[in-house]
Amino acid sequence: MKDAITVRNLKKEFKAYSSRSGLKGAFRDLLTRNYKIVPAVNDISFNVKQGEMVGYIGENGAGKSTTIKMLTGILTPTSGEVTVNGMNPHRDREKFVSTIGVVFGQRSQLWWDIAVQESFRLLKKVYKVSDEQFESHMAHVIKTLGLEPLLDKPVRKLSLGQRMRCELAAALIHNPPLLFLDEPTIGLDVLVKLKIREFLKEINEKYNTTILLTTHDLTEIEALCERVVMLDDGKIIYDGALKSLKEKWGEGKEIEFQFLEEVEITDLNSITASSEVKWEKNDKEPIYTAIVEDNDELISLLIAKVVADLKVKDINIKETSTEEIIRNIYDRGIS
Amino acid sequence: MFYIKIFFQYVAQYMKTRMQYRADLFVEFISDLLFQAVNLIFILVVFGHTNLLGGWTRDEIIFIYGFFLVPYALFSSFFNIWDFNERYIVKGELDRILTRPIHSLFQMVLERMELESLFGALTGIAVMVYAGMSLGLVISWADPLLFLLFVIGGMLVYGGIFVMIACISFWADARTSIMPMMYNIGNYGRYPVDIYNSVIRFILTWVLPFAFVGVYPAAYFLGKEEWLLYSFLTPVMGIIFFGISILIWNSGVKRYRGAGN
Repeated sequence: MKDAITVRNLKKEFKAYSSRSGLKGAFRDLLTRNYKIVPAVNDISFNVKQGEMVGYIGENGAGKSTTIKMLTGILTPTSGEVTVNGMNPHRDREKFVSTIGVVFGQRSQLWWDIAVQESFRLLKKVYKVSDEQFESHMAHVIKTLGLEPLLDKPVRKLSLGQRMRCELAAALIHNPPLLFLDEPTIGLDVLVKLKIREFLKEINEKYNTTILLTTHDLTEIEALCERVVMLDDGKIIYDGALKSLKEKWGEGKEIEFQFLEEVEITDLNSITASSEVKWEKNDKEPIYTAIVEDNDELISLLIAKVVADLKVKDINIKETSTEEIIRNIYDRGIS
Repeated sequence: MFYIKIFFQYVAQYMKTRMQYRADLFVEFISDLLFQAVNLIFILVVFGHTNLLGGWTRDEIIFIYGFFLVPYALFSSFFNIWDFNERYIVKGELDRILTRPIHSLFQMVLERMELESLFGALTGIAVMVYAGMSLGLVISWADPLLFLLFVIGGMLVYGGIFVMIACISFWADARTSIMPMMYNIGNYGRYPVDIYNSVIRFILTWVLPFAFVGVYPAAYFLGKEEWLLYSFLTPVMGIIFFGISILIWNSGVKRYRGAGN
């Protein structure tokens, strides 16, 4: 199948000037400025297949938005090649943008003063969508997102959750094969988030829509994407399945114990001295956590040893969460 | 064709939005009319004291002023881009514009139109009729057509200059205060250019051709034969200036850096 997105050695540099401090510095800035070339996106390459849902993650300022803006044709790359839906986004922008849908979580696509349905109607004309297409497709979108009661309200009177659902619908008016979502659920409550996730899954299945998603909410990535592309400092540091990310960098399992009696870390250490275990005590509650390698036999052995010597109130086996894994990667680097 | 259709869609939408706020619309209508009436009286009072200015009679000057108001009204209705830098560059609204399949400048025009400003054209025509009658001008069959052509030409000249100024924002980070200055310079086009020093005249004709918004086209209707060539250059200058401004705009959009979020 043809790739929806192909990116080769993409680079975007911004020229930033650093100002000197103080009044004297300000005068010197007037005459000669210190320019610095700052690479926001530094030589990245990746492909996205049609129908894939890809999570694009990274810290603030890692270059996520810049990449999305180059993929949507808003920004011109400094160098490198971008092909999206078989077109060069920036060069063929006006033709290209009718094949994509874009939702920027922090920016509205809708007209502030007019009713939601009027916004839809206007966008329908802008994207040259025929009546039949609009009826069949949008009726479904409106129903799934539960927009009927909002249609005749002006956008400025909607709550954030309501507005985001409308934004999503607006981005889908022309039923694009590729959807860019830049933090679509920022600041939304759990129910709306779930609704939006369900909906994204549904259109992905129904129309084989490719979705590229950036978010800080990793549960979202876990719920939707099989593949993640992780960005740090303008470079891709990981590109692959979410599962293997966990296997590779998941730091084993955590086993939480609560005991009936007072226990010291030193006691626990001596009990489990024969195996590789790291014990940690929770600051607030009397919970002790054993961090071990993800190995079933080792874990059962450990539990057996602890239970044989101490009275246990509660045991809980936890896997390291994606969030922790990613935090670790950012803290320590990929190697 | 598509652009014309979209244009009317936006106009319809604009009217609908306006009509939602009925009281607001009414107040605005009244205040616009009052504003224009005050404007009219002001012009008559100011020009009432001058009888001859560099060989032009009082009524001729009033006529030029009246003509100027018409392209100016069209310009202010459709090129309401004085806050382009803050709104579209700093706040990054241009991002949204660039993700839609219509030329970005055209979308700006559509989004920012202020049709109320068209009332100014009525004042302008009223002023022209008043001055024209006291001058005893005769209207020939071609005049309304030429009037339309000159008005559109004038609007394009004005629009072209301001689009070019707005484009500075693509290259310079800081906001510039050139816009208000330009509004002032634009006013010079209302007066007969031969009263100015030749350098200023050259500037107003070829560099910042505001003279093509007022004096030159109006001179045709006043029967000033010596300006005939300039009068007919109005639409040409409009197309040239506006065309150049679109080219600059297009290359500016390539330089757009977006606003961080």
